[in-house]
Amino acid sequence: MGTLVFLAPPIVACIILAGMLSYFGNHILSRGIIFIDIAVAQIAALGTMIGILLGFAESSVGAQIVSYAFTIIVLGIFSVMKVKKQLLPQEAIIGIFYCVALGMALLLAEKIPGGSNYITKTITGNVLWVTWKSVVSCLFMFVPIIILNLLLGKSIRKVTQGEIINNSFGKTRIYDLVFYITFGIVIVKSVPVMGIFLVFILLIGPASISRMFVNSWKSRIIWSWVIGSVGSLAGIYISYTLNISNGPAIVGIIGIATYLAAFARLYSKRSGKEIAATN
Amino acid sequence: MASIEFILLPLIGCLLIVMINVYFGIHVIKREIIFIDIALASIAALGSAVGMVLFEMGHENHSHEPHGFLPYIFSMGFISLASFAFTLLRNKKISIPLEAIIGIAYAVATTLTVIILDKGAGGDVHVHDMLVGTILWISGHQLTRLAVVVIIVGAFHFVYRKKFVRLTDSFHENDTGIKNRMLWDFLFYFSFGLVVVEAVRIAGILTVFAFLILPASLSVILSGKWITKLIVGWLAGIVASFAGLLLSLKLDVPSAPVIITILGIILLLGYLLYKINNYKKQIKKIPGS
Repeated sequence: MGTLVFLAPPIVACIILAGMLSYFGNHILSRGIIFIDIAVAQIAALGTMIGILLGFAESSVGAQIVSYAFTIIVLGIFSVMKVKKQLLPQEAIIGIFYCVALGMALLLAEKIPGGSNYITKTITGNVLWVTWKSVVSCLFMFVPIIILNLLLGKSIRKVTQGEIINNSFGKTRIYDLVFYITFGIVIVKSVPVMGIFLVFILLIGPASISRMFVNSWKSRIIWSWVIGSVGSLAGIYISYTLNISNGPAIVGIIGIATYLAAFARLYSKRSGKEIAATN
Repeated sequence: MASIEFILLPLIGCLLIVMINVYFGIHVIKREIIFIDIALASIAALGSAVGMVLFEMGHENHSHEPHGFLPYIFSMGFISLASFAFTLLRNKKISIPLEAIIGIAYAVATTLTVIILDKGAGGDVHVHDMLVGTILWISGHQLTRLAVVVIIVGAFHFVYRKKFVRLTDSFHENDTGIKNRMLWDFLFYFSFGLVVVEAVRIAGILTVFAFLILPASLSVILSGKWITKLIVGWLAGIVASFAGLLLSLKLDVPSAPVIITILGIILLLGYLLYKINNYKKQIKKIPGS
């Protein structure tokens, strides 16, 4: 029983996050902006460093506010930069943002004692350290985001599919902005707790598997949630029995499962046409 | 002009990377597989980590030779496996973008490397070094290796340039009509992997990524033809390398962020130029129409 009490908060956190990220993951895959969460995490880390340089203590409310504000501004620029005639693929713009943000962070790291820690910090992260307190604070942040996305869900989905809302390019951009800002908040909130690769794999892996096999949007999201939760549970179990870190174990399991699913899809008899048609 | 002499070797290194990466960058942007370079770099790192562990298991004396033969063979093996998987999984049956497949490979490779190297201390330092690289301290031997790889891969792509351009132009279509498409796709990824391994070892993941994406993005904005795209990208890369290395030496800051900042500024100026040109065209159009 003791281990179960110990493992309960990380398990609950993984299931909540798997649900949240399954929704965003399906959007991200449809938009083809796979690496946006790694870019957002890097931008948030840069924001924290700016906050520290402005004189706020590390992990103080002030530094966090600067980090959120900075991330939201950059995401705002990103969603406004989408023009009618796309020259560069959006993924390339994400690559540029990521690269420049990381470069800036490296420059600032010279000014902060122990600054290079902030660059490597986002990479690791440990689910086992999750406490009930951080689970509750995540929920507190996620509930308004869930409500907002439920209310605007239909329109946001249309924007994801490349439609223009009410024939107004400006209105479409506003829905886009809501999507990116809520997504940004989820990423900034979850990456320090779970580590960037776990968030990345929960975002992309389950959504990829369900997209290859399931047609309807709603069942894709539900399947992604189920796959993400089962993968997390399996990863935590394996990491516990084999005594390896749990983040990498979950990443490994979901990642390998995605590859197996992709190859299964490749060599399955069923034609891919009916699924491709609904994209 | 002692400083010029000092940055001569790193400058040649940068220029070699710029030459080949601008070319690959235009391909990669068109294929929308932007992060393939980071993915291949971490897959190669995983390969060499596996090779290192196996090497140490076979040799009890623990001679720490960082770039041994076995790790290199393993990283090549892992890269060919990954290239093969990327080639196979670009298929109309798979309804997810190839970038997602690449991203998952990146995440898995990086975390597995962390698990394997977990025992060794100083993992953070290792990550930092891999990110930033140490191009200012490039040795003649490293430079020769890089030059050999760049010249071989460059010559290969120059000879078959039409094939590769057609391959990339038809990348998002189901029926390419190209003979042996799989083989050529594989060769594209594998040859790029060879370059990435050498370049990352010298300049770090971040600089190599910057040289891949930023100049090529500028050339995609400013020009339409392949040859002018290459020239625009090369010019931007050359200016940024030269100014970046010189500035980083003068100001005593790491070279990677300085080069990236300059590339970013050039890209921003290019974008503004494009906007101004567009605006002028629109103004001209209104009275005429």
